[in-house]
Amino acid sequence: MHEFFQQLEQLRHSNRRVSLATLVNTVGTSPRKEGAKMWVGEGGDILGAVTIGGCVDAYVIEQAEAVLVTQVPRLIELPLGDEDAWELGLSCAGTIEVFIEPLSAAHSQPFDLYTALKSHIDKGNSGALLTCLDGAPTGAKLLLLDNGHTLGSLGDPTLDQEVCKAARSHMAQGLSRTLSFTLPHTTARVFVEVHTPPATLIIVGASHVAMLLVQMARPVGFHTIVIDSRPRFATPERFPATDTLLVGMPSEIVQTLPLSPVTAVILVAHDYKYDLPILRHILSSPVGYIGVLGSRRRGEGLLKFLREDGVPEEALRRIRVPIGLDLGGRSAPEIALAILAEVVSARYGGSNLPLSQQRQDAE
Amino acid sequence: MTLQYSATIVEHFRHPRNYGALPAPEVAYEDLNPLCGDRIRMELNVSADQTIAAVRFRGDSCIISRAAASILTELIQGHTLQEVVALPQEVLLTALHTPIRPARLKCALLPLHILQAGIAAYLS
Repeated sequence: MHEFFQQLEQLRHSNRRVSLATLVNTVGTSPRKEGAKMWVGEGGDILGAVTIGGCVDAYVIEQAEAVLVTQVPRLIELPLGDEDAWELGLSCAGTIEVFIEPLSAAHSQPFDLYTALKSHIDKGNSGALLTCLDGAPTGAKLLLLDNGHTLGSLGDPTLDQEVCKAARSHMAQGLSRTLSFTLPHTTARVFVEVHTPPATLIIVGASHVAMLLVQMARPVGFHTIVIDSRPRFATPERFPATDTLLVGMPSEIVQTLPLSPVTAVILVAHDYKYDLPILRHILSSPVGYIGVLGSRRRGEGLLKFLREDGVPEEALRRIRVPIGLDLGGRSAPEIALAILAEVVSARYGGSNLPLSQQRQDAE
Repeated sequence: MTLQYSATIVEHFRHPRNYGALPAPEVAYEDLNPLCGDRIRMELNVSADQTIAAVRFRGDSCIISRAAASILTELIQGHTLQEVVALPQEVLLTALHTPIRPARLKCALLPLHILQAGIAAYLS
């Protein structure tokens, strides 16, 4: 989604017009989640996808080109037959709905709302952009932030109120969904497009493994923060791809950072002077992943220290040491890969088993 | 993790004295060993007669550095700034109650060097 916001900012400052297609509803299986987006530009350029390509996306592109001409938003329903499902690699047929809307700098409201949303989520918060899919006015937007603030309107104050009430629970779960509303005087379907802060990888220790971790984590979609006490190691030259590079007292720096369930903290300094104070702090936070580089013996030593400090066993079980999945590799890039694999698996609740084995077990 | 250090060092590492920050220090100085990353901040309240009224330290540092910083804060209480600037490093090393190998001397002396640099900056 980071790329989407970047493209949106570029579009705002150009004279181009695009159609923005958003996957707003899925029934049955779908290769993408609600909220997936695709641009179709006047010059024929295409960015993103609402499925995984093929004939379905081709149809969406045709429809998007039509919206470029009419400048009128439309909601399209695409039943996916068994043959479509097979081509797309789905297990069964289903239906998807895609909302296509025109976007250009001439109509600034969507840009204003997305800009406000991005600014909010960049600070570690969540928000939802609510779009009216049918009923009048189609395409109307309302921004709802997790602090309760709103911007814009769906065109009806009562509808605004009802939708915000319903959207809050979806925002808390981080799920984008299309919701239906029946009011005494109107009915409407509204897409609740939830945006949560990007998953953040906090890496303590500007080591060689940390350099490789940053390189790998960025394309996976992580916002990366590298922390070290040593300015000689924590340099932009060694970490050109990191979002934030912080030099100072690591245990103090970590206390200033937002720590949420989508944050992973990785201690690769291999140094208890960082590990112990930082672990004491982050164990009282809801971070989703805590990993420490080191041998099993070293890990047991760290846990013993923390146990003696009164840290409860339940909290200690959150620490993954030795860090990473057992991929068998021992080189620095292989270690970084094993760490990142475990972080991703923890984020999605993965089984850590080969998918092929799951298939064989099913048979 | 079995600690192979003197009881004094272990005690000061586990229970550091004067750890934390002062609300309005006259002297506040932070520095590090650029290679190992030991980083310590020393803070002092100084009386009108240039004696040390209060001291705090904070840091992410190794066992020896942390213990040395803790011991140092006890050694300098009530002394004048000039006395601390002139404090021989042997006094601190002796207070650690264990021989420090040459490879770890920098660790043991880092707090003293930071404190003396901070006082020098304050006096200049």
